[in-house]
Amino acid sequence: MSRVVAFHSFRGGTGKSNTTANVAVQAARRNLRVGIVDTDIQSPGIHVLLGIDQSQIERSLNDYLWGRCEIADAAHDVTAGLHAELPGRVFLVPSSIDATDIARVMHDGYDVSLLHEGINALVGDLSLDLLLLDTHPGLNEETLLSIAVSDAVAIVLRPDQQDYEGTHVTVSVARKLKVPEMMLVVNKTPLVFDHDQVRRRVADAYGCDVAAVLPHSDDLMAFSSRGVFVLHRPDHPLAAMYDDLAGRIIG
Amino acid sequence: MSAQTARVLVVDDEPINRRLLARYLEREGHEVATADDGAAGWEKLRAEPFDVVLLDVLMPEMDGYEVLELLRADPARRHLPVIMISSLEDTDSIVRCIELGADDYLPKPFRPVLLRARINAGIARKRLHDLELEYLEQVGHVVDAAAAVEQGRFDERSLDAVAERDDALGNLARIFQHMACEIAAREDALKQQVHELRIEIDEAKAAKQVAEITETDYFRDLLHKADALRQR
Repeated sequence: MSRVVAFHSFRGGTGKSNTTANVAVQAARRNLRVGIVDTDIQSPGIHVLLGIDQSQIERSLNDYLWGRCEIADAAHDVTAGLHAELPGRVFLVPSSIDATDIARVMHDGYDVSLLHEGINALVGDLSLDLLLLDTHPGLNEETLLSIAVSDAVAIVLRPDQQDYEGTHVTVSVARKLKVPEMMLVVNKTPLVFDHDQVRRRVADAYGCDVAAVLPHSDDLMAFSSRGVFVLHRPDHPLAAMYDDLAGRIIG
Repeated sequence: MSAQTARVLVVDDEPINRRLLARYLEREGHEVATADDGAAGWEKLRAEPFDVVLLDVLMPEMDGYEVLELLRADPARRHLPVIMISSLEDTDSIVRCIELGADDYLPKPFRPVLLRARINAGIARKRLHDLELEYLEQVGHVVDAAAAVEQGRFDERSLDAVAERDDALGNLARIFQHMACEIAAREDALKQQVHELRIEIDEAKAAKQVAEITETDYFRDLLHKADALRQR
């Protein structure tokens, strides 16, 4: 039984792509076949974490949406490039990082129902156990569609006032969309915060499950976008937290 | 006490020599204590701090060599400048004193010019050593302060003495103090914020934002399709 989970955040800078990549790798460690679709067409970025550069992207999500290929043709098996012994596999459907492609998609838009068909086809063609959608921050049409077609949405937020308000909007919209399952991931939590208290207050404020309260980590910041942190520091306390979160995401 | 005046101990078994040396050194502005043999000299050295010792080589009971050996074997007094005095001018004695760690050698009868020069050189060595000790001690304070910051028990005033230095170490201590205080203040503010952690949501504003998204044709269409999409 496969599962589609959209990772979303109302504002940028919450660590959404980083969380998505780390959860994907931890799920692959559990012998799962995991797909990631970078639906952040306007500002793609997760490919960098997964060790893919521009020259390696022959086909992208854009090519599929413009009818140039099947979506599975745009999927890159990034498992080997992660340089780790993973019993499962990680596939990425990147968005084009070509400026002309981005401009075209922004200008012309695309048939959003294609995205839904693509997601279904990808799960079937690659026999995926888990498909993660890395969405664009905010609530534009593609993002709403990604949320609407997902089995669950994981909303990543930082514990600060602006994120609290934005998350409230996302939660309300997702409820109207009748997303079957919704969970919150509180990220970059200052170490001086009492994490249990943060978990309780956030859960109370939104009436929503808090899947993880992840601490701010200088180690993670210093590692930045050079790769997937749990591969670099498998024994770091954060790696265990991402593994717990992966368990929640897998369901 | 100025840089050129010091506490000097004169150890000599000859009363005339002791008085002569003491009077001369006091005229030079030094504070002088005397001992009439090696054992009494060693007692004084252990009881009081001195800057320079004038030590006669040949004395009954405990001679100058023995006192010198005791001094050099004592970690707290190892660096005390010692000037050996003796009427002996034989090379063997001089060599032995130097091998035992004497800093200088003054032949009797002493010549005031030579005595002054050697006493001053001894004082300068002592001062330099004291400065070095003080520097190392203060570096230790900064190292301790770093450990204290890590353990969350840093006391700002623990670096006051080091911060008064007008050299690079003083500057390091001042910057360290400043940064540690800044960080502590920020953490206090955050703790305060945690204490007051409330999730305040402007419901009217949020409802307006939600409406802007959900009251569109696109959204209505999506909502309509969503169930069907999930069924597929």
